[in-house]
Amino acid sequence: MEQNHTKVLNGYHVVFLVQNVMIGSTLLTLPNLLSPAGYSQWWFPLLFALIANLLVLPMIWLVSKYKEHDLFAIHEKLFGRWVGKGLNLFLLGYLIVLIAAICEGYLDLIQVVALPDRTTTWPLFLFFLVLVYITSGGIKSIARYCIMSFFLVTWIIYFLKWGMTDGDIRHALPLFNFTAQELFTATKKGFISMSGFELILFYFPYIIHQQRAFKQASLGIWICAILYLVTVLTSVMYFSIWQLENVLYPVLYLFNAVKLSFLERVDVLAISLWVFFILTTTTAYLWVVKRGIDSIRMAEKKSHLYIVATVIFLFINIPFPKEVQKMIYERVFYINYAFIIWPLFLCIIHLVKPAKEGVK
Amino acid sequence: MNGIGFWQENKTENILITTLQKKLEGIGDVVHKEIETPEEKVTIIYFSSLIDNLTFHEKVIIPLFNGREEITQTAKIIEQETLTEVLSAITEGNTLLYFHKKDLYFTVNTYSPPARTIAESDTESTVSGPRDALTESLQTNLSLIKRRIRNPNLKSKNYIVGTETNTKLTVVYIETIVNQENLSRVFTKIDGIDWPGVNDISIVSQLMEEHQFSPFTQYHMTERPDAVTSALLDGRIIIMMDNSQGVLICPSTFLEFFLSPEDDYNRWTTATLLRCLRFFGFFLTIMLTPFYISALSFHPEILPFEVLINLQESRSRVPFPPVIEVLFMELVIEVLREAGSRMPTKIGQTIGIVGGIVIGTAAVEAGLVSNTLIVLVAISALLSFLPPSFTMSNSSRVIRYLFIISAGIFGLYGQMIAFAWLMQHLLSLTSLGTPYMTPMIPRKWSDLLDSVVRLPTSFLKNTKDVSRAVPPTKGEK
Repeated sequence: MEQNHTKVLNGYHVVFLVQNVMIGSTLLTLPNLLSPAGYSQWWFPLLFALIANLLVLPMIWLVSKYKEHDLFAIHEKLFGRWVGKGLNLFLLGYLIVLIAAICEGYLDLIQVVALPDRTTTWPLFLFFLVLVYITSGGIKSIARYCIMSFFLVTWIIYFLKWGMTDGDIRHALPLFNFTAQELFTATKKGFISMSGFELILFYFPYIIHQQRAFKQASLGIWICAILYLVTVLTSVMYFSIWQLENVLYPVLYLFNAVKLSFLERVDVLAISLWVFFILTTTTAYLWVVKRGIDSIRMAEKKSHLYIVATVIFLFINIPFPKEVQKMIYERVFYINYAFIIWPLFLCIIHLVKPAKEGVK
Repeated sequence: MNGIGFWQENKTENILITTLQKKLEGIGDVVHKEIETPEEKVTIIYFSSLIDNLTFHEKVIIPLFNGREEITQTAKIIEQETLTEVLSAITEGNTLLYFHKKDLYFTVNTYSPPARTIAESDTESTVSGPRDALTESLQTNLSLIKRRIRNPNLKSKNYIVGTETNTKLTVVYIETIVNQENLSRVFTKIDGIDWPGVNDISIVSQLMEEHQFSPFTQYHMTERPDAVTSALLDGRIIIMMDNSQGVLICPSTFLEFFLSPEDDYNRWTTATLLRCLRFFGFFLTIMLTPFYISALSFHPEILPFEVLINLQESRSRVPFPPVIEVLFMELVIEVLREAGSRMPTKIGQTIGIVGGIVIGTAAVEAGLVSNTLIVLVAISALLSFLPPSFTMSNSSRVIRYLFIISAGIFGLYGQMIAFAWLMQHLLSLTSLGTPYMTPMIPRKWSDLLDSVVRLPTSFLKNTKDVSRAVPPTKGEK
């Protein structure tokens, strides 16, 4: 499908899109996810950022070969119309479940921390109203929202001060005190916190200075990594290894350590404010799904957005047994890894394809 | 133009004067006089309500008796002699002269309606700086501005709006620094106004807005000539209307509704402090009472134990849930404010004091509301009046109810969702195509020097990026 994109994203937009989509609810549980590596986990965000930075390379290379096309169109170009559409459909299915997983994960957390005697249906409905409202503004609107969310929420990093003061810096050493197996397990569980930068495959055509996209995306990744690093380091200092392994949302407990004369439980405030981060993550994914349906149906319609939002809302409200749901959501995160590596294969196919066509 | 050259000697009959008389039948204040001057018979028609006697005598009668030549120096000849032209001249306050012998029509500008004198502004008063405010007369307002900007580049374009009222509207701008794109947008928007009658510039503002369903007004309205002057010097476009004290500044951004002209006259430190107060006040006024609801209904654990005990003690006799209590109290304050502003001043003050006492003590004693809430509602009501712009303080009050209801349903989460909506809404608004949240998002570095923080005056030499005529070439904004 030929697409005519208006270039709307400047450098700031790209940086904040990359980092804000990455910061989702996984940050709240990251120290727990990395717990197999024990106290040595604190430098893992740097490792992840390095891997993510390397993975962005093939992505940018691929999309810069198709400057005016997003991944959906590239699929069709590389695999032909029908196989391409099939792949896109699969991708859409994955993205829909991913959005559902993010929303449900956050709403469950809200229910536990802030609204213990409420069901999640109505809070979720309200969340979806705002979600659709932001997404309907287009990618530039989402990018602007990312910038604003970053400044509205990131100040709560200040609250880690108490955790640092109460913690013990000696926990940070020794550095490489883990086996290869532990490294693998921690990376497998924790790298999910970095997912989100791959969306550049979809909004690349909208970037004004495409030649600078790699630099901007890298900047986004590293800012995010520094936020992660500070959080994980504070957790390492504050918690015992047993706590890291067994406390599901360690960051919330870190906020609990805050001692203010006018506010007691800062975690309630933090988790409510976190909705801005969840909104930026989900709006970006929702926008991609909407673009996907546009490309499959070869028409840009606002109704696609409403339909997708309704489908995801209903999907979250299907009363799956908890085990099935957990299984689905876990598989989705594995697909996420496959998806991040996928552009590498696409690059190879892109290189092979012209040669093959030449033979024909 | 000297009209003598156009005098035609041989017209024997003119139907126009009789048709005109028929058209003007039934209008009480129309004056129809026939005067015999030393030279010829002259018919005079005018609206007495628009012309005062002295002006009429000076501009018409004396020159007429001094000879035809003198009147033709100030009068304007009507060449086409169409009924519409003549009628509109009369309704605009001109005096029509018909010279029988020569069969010619002249109009003399005698428009002199009663006008209010220049007084101090009620809604935008300041401690320092000039005190004069605009009035309802377009001419006076223009003169107040031209007195401040003596520059031939100060251009204006006139329009007539209101299909029934035919109200004069003027677009004023400094040609050398105005953004031409904005200017053409303003012209297009005014051309598109099709409305029977406009009583005030705020109606024009609503008709021009891009986002009509928004609770936020998109054009800043002011009644201070110094605010108008600084806007013009910044390259903005001003829309003024006859019979309206306010003028519109286009385009406007969200932050500017919190800036007062007084900020320029204060030292930068004081100005910055006051600006911070206003912004923080806006945030608090929409968050304070909703937070009371959230804390009491959903998250009592968020408050320190001592505060919670105090709150519960003060609420011990209140039988309603916090959201009802807050809504009740907020509405009472609204009613008091509304009643106070509609009543004659003396009664209004009495009602304000009595109402305050009744609510302050009796409502608490009656167990309708808690002591703490009274304090919070009073503070948030006061904070809502911190923005110098009255329309913005109105918007903040409307928005507060949304936050109160969201907090009543979902506590802090509801508040944050409402806040998320508000942020997106503000980000999506535009004023003449300029994003409403400029210079924050999209950021304009040079404009940030004079936003929440005001730097010393010597830093503010440049016009703002948002209203700059030539957009900067470096990078995409």
